[in-house]
Amino acid sequence: MREQFFPAFDWHTVFIQPWSEYAVNSFWIVLMGFLVAGTCGLVGCFVILRRMALVGDAISHSILPGITLAFLITNSRDTLPMMLGAVVAGVVTVALIEAIRYTSRIKPDAAIGIVFSSLFAIGVILISVFADEVDLDAECVLYGELGFIPLQDIAYFGEIVIGPEPIVRMAIITLIAIVLLFAFFKEMIVTSFDSGLAASLGINPTRYQYGLTLFLSIVIVSSFESVGVVLVIAMIIFPGATALMLTDRLPIALVLSTVISGAYSLIGFHLATWLNASIAGGMTVIAGIVFGIVWAFAPQRGLIATFVRNRQIMEGSALNFSREEK
Amino acid sequence: MPLAQTDAESKKIAPPLEIHDLTVAYTKRPVLYGIDLEIPKGSIVGIVGPNGAGKSTLIKSVMGLLPSASGWVKVFGKPFKQAVTRVGYVPQRESVDWDFPVNALDVVLMGRYGRLGPFKRPNKSDKNIAMACLEKVRMAPYAKRQISNLSGGQQQRVFLARALAQESDLYLMDEPFVGVDAATESAIIEILRELQTQGKTLIVVHHDLTTAPDYFDRILLLNMRVVAYGNTKDVFTFENLQNAYGGRLSILSEVALSRARKKAEGDTPEDSLR
Amino acid sequence: MRELLPHAVSNGSKQRLAFSIFGILTASTIAHAAQIGKISETSWTEQALDFLSLEEPVVRTAVLGTLIIGFCCGVLGSFLVVRKLSLLGDTLSHAVLPGVALGFLWNASKDPWAIFIGATAAGILGVALVGWIKQTTHLKEDSAMGMVLAGFYGLGICMTTMIQNMAMGNKSGLDKFFFGQAAALSSGDIQLLGIISLITVVLVLIFYKEFIAISFDTGFAQAIGMPVQVLHYALMALLTFAVVVSLQAVGVVLVSALLITPAAAAFLLTDRMHWMLILAAGFGMLSGVLGAFISYLSNNLPTGPLIVLGATLIFVLALFFGPRHGFLTKTLRRKRQRQRIALENTLKSIFYLCENSDFERREFVVAELAVERNSNLPATEREILNLVEADMAEWIVDSNTPSMSGQARFRLSKEGWYRACEIVRNHRLWELYLTSAASYESDHVHDDAEEIEHLIGEGIVKRLEDRLQNPIHDPHGRLIPRRDQVIA
Repeated sequence: MREQFFPAFDWHTVFIQPWSEYAVNSFWIVLMGFLVAGTCGLVGCFVILRRMALVGDAISHSILPGITLAFLITNSRDTLPMMLGAVVAGVVTVALIEAIRYTSRIKPDAAIGIVFSSLFAIGVILISVFADEVDLDAECVLYGELGFIPLQDIAYFGEIVIGPEPIVRMAIITLIAIVLLFAFFKEMIVTSFDSGLAASLGINPTRYQYGLTLFLSIVIVSSFESVGVVLVIAMIIFPGATALMLTDRLPIALVLSTVISGAYSLIGFHLATWLNASIAGGMTVIAGIVFGIVWAFAPQRGLIATFVRNRQIMEGSALNFSREEK
Repeated sequence: MPLAQTDAESKKIAPPLEIHDLTVAYTKRPVLYGIDLEIPKGSIVGIVGPNGAGKSTLIKSVMGLLPSASGWVKVFGKPFKQAVTRVGYVPQRESVDWDFPVNALDVVLMGRYGRLGPFKRPNKSDKNIAMACLEKVRMAPYAKRQISNLSGGQQQRVFLARALAQESDLYLMDEPFVGVDAATESAIIEILRELQTQGKTLIVVHHDLTTAPDYFDRILLLNMRVVAYGNTKDVFTFENLQNAYGGRLSILSEVALSRARKKAEGDTPEDSLR
Repeated sequence: MRELLPHAVSNGSKQRLAFSIFGILTASTIAHAAQIGKISETSWTEQALDFLSLEEPVVRTAVLGTLIIGFCCGVLGSFLVVRKLSLLGDTLSHAVLPGVALGFLWNASKDPWAIFIGATAAGILGVALVGWIKQTTHLKEDSAMGMVLAGFYGLGICMTTMIQNMAMGNKSGLDKFFFGQAAALSSGDIQLLGIISLITVVLVLIFYKEFIAISFDTGFAQAIGMPVQVLHYALMALLTFAVVVSLQAVGVVLVSALLITPAAAAFLLTDRMHWMLILAAGFGMLSGVLGAFISYLSNNLPTGPLIVLGATLIFVLALFFGPRHGFLTKTLRRKRQRQRIALENTLKSIFYLCENSDFERREFVVAELAVERNSNLPATEREILNLVEADMAEWIVDSNTPSMSGQARFRLSKEGWYRACEIVRNHRLWELYLTSAASYESDHVHDDAEEIEHLIGEGIVKRLEDRLQNPIHDPHGRLIPRRDQVIA
């Protein structure tokens, strides 16, 4: 039973083969994983700090009806209409959540849950009603498959081969993310930290809130075909959350989250190769394990560091015959 | 020609803060009712009143953070949005997430952001100014500390340094003395005095009656409405304090409450009034 | 020809196979997996009758199952909604996946009990992890939930893809956990459902006040000696049970909707917790049966999403038509109020006209009022028409005046006069109160009184009179009309 579940570990097939015989494909897969996790991680740092993690979850689910409708209307699987449909779905999600919040006394968490589940249900029903027409690769939407990336059409720049189309697309999104990050870093940091101060400085916090939401849906849309709608949220939260355990500075956290994303992609790929499992799933498992390790061993905020510190305080205060608060 | 003259004149005489008939009602709680106020240049004004009297609300609505039901606010003779760079703000300490991954210097640098404009990053001179502000509140040694590792008093000083970095002419401070140690309190008041001698105007929300007369030269006694406002020695009378603290005007608060509640439920739109 | 990674391809195609076994993917699988009805049925009325007769065992099981699920989720979801933990349901439903896979691995079959135990363990572990992350790190609750949700789900996906790659029979057992099929509920599942809901009801009844206390104010509950942690985890365990058993009918992604949406709809309609529980349970059951019914009628639509949309429909109805907080109800109420205020403003202007003539005249022409109201003739005439319709004014028919010249004459009826006096009186009393009691300047109080005059009722007016000792003049020296003032 056990042997069957965990395939035998073979150093050669897991580590050597991918980088010798199949090096090109492995490279594309790992690069794509890195681009997805890295971009999600950059945006995710701000998503975490603004407590919008579950809005991201909601958007990632609401994409389903968006791309289904886009497909039904244009009857093509081109990227642009799909992308457009998904972004519209993302914006509609946020607008509906806000509408419910402002017209009723429903709290934001419940509004998020109601909106995304309803939209997702509509998506599933659309797919089943138009079962004959929709030749949508729904499994790709739901789970994504990094393994297929090298099989996609190749993008050319003139005569020069650049690489598989999805990777080129993702690279463009990554580039945009980095440019936006540099352009609006101070506005993002001040609106996230203290919206009152931002307003008093003449920086409109709501504008940046909406900007981030919009860009978040674009990132989710461009990522879901690789990691699927559920696991994209892992790629958004885990790198930032792990990095923020390790540092007190946001710029460092952003760099760290990128490095961590690279680790997810590389190690996750090998894990999936070994276990013969979904690569996105493998990346998420690695993300969870890395977070667990950091949670335990982080120098300042880790469980062990905190425990030792508390012990020292307790011992110190025991000597003083007084218990220190906090 | 005469137009330019009046403009120049108004610039000269426009008070740092002028509030006319300001009424604020939000989230079913009426908070301010018909506030009229004019703050002269170079004064330190203490806003004093019981809990829930609308002290913080007054400051927030001056900055347009809360929508007002009626009335207007002018800062140096202009709407707040046009005078943004002339106003410095010190929010209540609890209003931000102190786990945020920034250090003390980063926070103070934020005070410069309003002057930078879009796409520009703080440069060396901004950093120098920020450092100098930290120095002024005696927090320079802690510049690289993450803000959650600072004590309450130190956090408050960082906030004050940030306001200094804004280099404004009017400062709005929301309870800067809450939860700080005695040393910080006297350090803060020292800085306030220094700012005053530079001709700045300071408005400080304060809840401690015993220290209020020592700290401020003008006092605004607030309890939903202006109970009394003027020079400290005139305002700080037993009768005024009793008026401010000894319970509300029951009919006024009741009516204001019912109106606020109706507004929150969307029953009384202003556009229908006349 | 590009170089291909053979095992990646075989891996991929295997996964493709694996995923389509999960039933969600290719639409045809959805069609087959989740239907209750028979394709052979002729007309939809016949089908509807067939469904309602509950003769077919499949229908009976499906209806019974969705009823119980709707009930359970409604009751437990109410606690989530009032505790602002709505999305914990979503976290739970995703977190159980590795448990489902483990339970499946236990004896390589879809033994409901093994899967149930595995899933429950994973769910409770997930909730505990959320709490633990929140307690020991500076990360906030939403990030903690997101991490547990996605992390557990990723692990679950890994495990299920691995299971698919194993040579085991009867793999299709796992598929319904992803999208749910009410039709596939077995009598064993119904038994499980029944037991869980019975436990839920009994525990909620026994610990009702404790659950309310920890939901409203955890600190207080702890202070009065309630075992807050135990109660919290008891509630979470019940929730996990409910989520796990509901998974089979609605699937992983949509089960959170069953927890949130009926409870949120109930929250819009009532202010009392016990009513909220009852309503939420009712809405849950209603949407369950509705979903099963439409699914049966349409033959090829999956049950889970239909149940969810049924619940959404109820929520939207409550959002728009709720008697107190409903959006349309509020709009209507606002419109009526606006009409009343407009009416009262017209009355007040007529009073002023009357007052300007030292109460000598009673009849006025439209043009006069238009000047007083600072308005044009047609609008003013419409205002008077509104008054006439409300029996507050009457036209004085005079055949000599041409119509539409603004010279048509009117006067207030007795009731209209009383109402006008009342409004002016409210206005002036309030001005007086503001200037004398609250020491506002007299040139500041008019605008405020313009608003307040329409809001204060008799009780407040009486108290104002007492407080001001039945005044005669307002701050501007004008007479305050008495309640029973008659026209001179």
